[in-house]
Amino acid sequence: MYVKFPKDAAKRTDPEAAAEVVYDAVIVGGGIAGAIIASRLSDAGRRVLILEAGPAEDLTLRGYESYLDRFYSSTSKDNQAPYPVVANCPFPRGADARRIFPGAPDASAYIVQSGPLATDTTYTRVLGGTTMHWEAKTPRMLPEDFQMRTLYGEGADWPLHYEDLSPYYNEAEREIGVSADVADQAYLGITFDKDYVFPMKGLPLSYLDKMVARDVNGMPVELDGERRELRVRPFPQGRNGIPNPAYDGGKGYMPRGAVSSYQVEVGGRCQGNNNCVPICPVQAKYNAGKTLAAALRGGRVDLVAQAVAYRVRLDERTQRVTEIEYRRYERPDSPRFTTMKARGRLFILAANAVENPRLMLASGLRGSSGLMGRNFMDHAYLLAWALLPEVAGTFRGTNCTGGITDLRGGRFRRRQAAFSVDIHNDGWGWARGAPMSDLVDLVDAGGRYGENLRQGLVDRVSRQLQLAFMVEVPADPSNRITVDPAFTDNLGNMRPILTYAIPDYTMRGVAYARQLSKRIFARLGAEDHTEYDPNFWGYAVYGGEGYEIRGGNHLAGTHMMGRDPSSSVVNADQRCWDYQNLYLVGGGSMPTVSTANVTLTLAALCLRSVRAMLAQLDSETAPIEVTGNGATQRQPQEVTR
Amino acid sequence: MTASTIHDRDDLISYLRTAMVLEHATIPTYLTAYYSIKSTTNSDAAHIIRVVATEEMLHLTLVANVLNAIGGTPDLTSPGFVPSFPTYLPDGEDDFTIDLRPLSPEAVDMFCKIERPGKAPSPSTRLIRESDDEPALLVSSPTAAGMRFYSIGEFYAEIIEGLQKVAANDPGLFRGNPARQVGPESFYSGGGVVIPVSDLDSAQRALRFIAAQGEGLDSGMYDGDGELAHYYRFRQLRLGRYYQLGDHPDAPSGPPLSIAWDDVYRVKVSAKLADYPVGSEIADAARKFNADYGAFLAMVTQAFNGQPGLLREAVWHMFRLRDVFNRLVGNPLPGGDGLHAAPTFEIPTTAGSDPDASRSAGETAQAVTR
Repeated sequence: MYVKFPKDAAKRTDPEAAAEVVYDAVIVGGGIAGAIIASRLSDAGRRVLILEAGPAEDLTLRGYESYLDRFYSSTSKDNQAPYPVVANCPFPRGADARRIFPGAPDASAYIVQSGPLATDTTYTRVLGGTTMHWEAKTPRMLPEDFQMRTLYGEGADWPLHYEDLSPYYNEAEREIGVSADVADQAYLGITFDKDYVFPMKGLPLSYLDKMVARDVNGMPVELDGERRELRVRPFPQGRNGIPNPAYDGGKGYMPRGAVSSYQVEVGGRCQGNNNCVPICPVQAKYNAGKTLAAALRGGRVDLVAQAVAYRVRLDERTQRVTEIEYRRYERPDSPRFTTMKARGRLFILAANAVENPRLMLASGLRGSSGLMGRNFMDHAYLLAWALLPEVAGTFRGTNCTGGITDLRGGRFRRRQAAFSVDIHNDGWGWARGAPMSDLVDLVDAGGRYGENLRQGLVDRVSRQLQLAFMVEVPADPSNRITVDPAFTDNLGNMRPILTYAIPDYTMRGVAYARQLSKRIFARLGAEDHTEYDPNFWGYAVYGGEGYEIRGGNHLAGTHMMGRDPSSSVVNADQRCWDYQNLYLVGGGSMPTVSTANVTLTLAALCLRSVRAMLAQLDSETAPIEVTGNGATQRQPQEVTR
Repeated sequence: MTASTIHDRDDLISYLRTAMVLEHATIPTYLTAYYSIKSTTNSDAAHIIRVVATEEMLHLTLVANVLNAIGGTPDLTSPGFVPSFPTYLPDGEDDFTIDLRPLSPEAVDMFCKIERPGKAPSPSTRLIRESDDEPALLVSSPTAAGMRFYSIGEFYAEIIEGLQKVAANDPGLFRGNPARQVGPESFYSGGGVVIPVSDLDSAQRALRFIAAQGEGLDSGMYDGDGELAHYYRFRQLRLGRYYQLGDHPDAPSGPPLSIAWDDVYRVKVSAKLADYPVGSEIADAARKFNADYGAFLAMVTQAFNGQPGLLREAVWHMFRLRDVFNRLVGNPLPGGDGLHAAPTFEIPTTAGSDPDASRSAGETAQAVTR
């Protein structure tokens, strides 16, 4: 069934009129976090305004296909290729990263990078956010990931346990539409409710996965005195598969296909195309448009797009947020804008772990703990690539279907970072630009054409194996987002400045990952072609060895949650310690990035926070009167519960 | 009322076999129009045609389920299963033929005629005597010589009533092996869920669904799931606007849609292999397509004969068919006045076992896997 996007919902709200409304909640950002919160608050009868920085265009199938056309026709198939450059709401692009030399920050792209390590980490500022380009892997975090400080003396503890989040994981898996089998996903302490099944059955491992599994399954690994055996395991995926009739106590599950303002029938099931990142051709992959469309249909959610938040405004006396000042650009291709304001009872920044702290810091709100923007985390990716001894059907199937997750947890985390390993069905694509690089080489260096070229390409790419080690990065206050009035964008918004280094803890994991890749390749009889280029922008040396480190686009940590206001920015409900009607939501709240892709967990966190938001709205019963200058006169009193 | 033409299980089997021919017959014409559209253009038209084509595949599968449920044997490989285009499809009138055409106003008119709602003026006119000068019609009655149906809807009405009648006299009618049923695990279509058939109720439900989704058994615009019937989907292409719930058939009020008639490969209408120069790459590709299509139908036949899981393999087979389809429509015919090639759907009779056919099908497989 397609997801109907109400016609003109991206344009129908007049910002002038919206400025006269005191919404129950104003949400900054129309990605998965904002969409989920908007849908749940409005379901509960609350009025919501979403401010979206990207262009004000309905989510239609034709609009989506314009992304596809741009992707297909662009020479660089980078992970933002489908999404047009709009100078008024710029975002990082995979090809932006440049080597950083000491004392010379790289300000050539949207994120100003002061290093010492450069990163190509990205996010997407369009309606639907980064879920438009995500790969849709949805592993849960391990129970131990919530207690890293207590168990291993590394990183931070969460104010929540796995059990606290577990029901919200269930709900997030429904919202996203996850395909997986419980039997594959219950490992290293991950537990599921009795009789739980995922909405859809697990997607099959690729032929390549099975070829790797043939030799890797049962491979012994000893680490920190613990022996374990590796196994190739399917990943849970936010892509439509075969609905599980046993879901929801036998009620089953109806997959949600493409988002469109007119009837279409596409996307109800994954077709196995090989470009989940940067865009699923049929929308079988979840994107937040699916949640957003449902929220907008209810009639209680207004959306103002082309609205870039500029400043969070406070009432100095009460320390409550009174409004979001935003700059509304008239057209994507013109810097002309109007300053507008959005008013509400609750304010929810759902812009992501870079944009949330950027906006707070640009508003002069550094937080009483001084931690706003600090503890930036991402995954450090180490790639290793080899040629298999026989054809393994590389480039069949979606980007990634299986991997090795046995080293996500364990006692070794006292000393070194854990990781999850992806087997890439797109061969050496990420590491070396396959298959385009192979094609160019065969033509330019090999002089091949026609049938000969076709066969040559098949010979080369179908034996490629690339392992991607997704290594955890612990919270480190010196890894941070800051702002500086010297660096602004087209609309005069301060740009994020990233200071980032990979801690030794992570590098020990990286070094171990490289050693493990050699053992795996040897076991497979594969020819190791891994070679790290010292001129690579993310080249990092550890223990005398150099490695290429890439970004993971798994942003976390910049407004960490905690139990103590002096060592965290938000509480377990993602409510800001300093401003009682302000919530900073998303990956930024996560105290550990662990070895899970962040989207499922941040979705679960947002679903959990909705309860607190609704309770707060219910408890703050006093009416709000708003004066002409936007300051509230009578303050709502929070009822102590 | 005309006397029933269905008396026993054998009659039902004949009718259901005919129904499979019928459900398949429109697929080549829809696919030809669909693939004639140049990539990145005509999104609206492409999606409308695509969804109807996939729903015809769903109907084919549903009929196979009913046939299997009463112990019949679906066969998509028998000679004549794929009609020779142009062909007639009886919807009560003989004013048009079904061609393999590029997307064009003529094609859309043809689609509307195929899917035109057609309820016989009275129960007694469901069956019409065939006239002598007409060519053989697809939905001629398989049991009453010289008779054909007023419309596809009436054809299904006859089967639905026949099922009831035969089941009443034959308690063992639904004797088919349940393992031969294709369920939602194996078959996915955007426009509806496949119904496994085990008894009279599920059999009638499956056939009513087909009639309602296609031509509208009761001439309503929507089927039970709120889905627009095929006829109205196509009509949107002529009216330039999408329907919304509550619209009058003549005045859709949804978002506008547009067609760029020129962004289409003008493929030769109902081309034959004989139209392609002997020994040309076009002729080779067209022959290969026909062989692949025949092999594909053979695989679907196996799937409908106890191996429903094979339908998952059908997915990449269809991608492969798509690739050859695209190669053909992208190529102008030598001396063809700018007309392009297209698959001819002349299926070699021994497809699947013919050594030439399997060799040519194997070539691509090699290029991909070696």
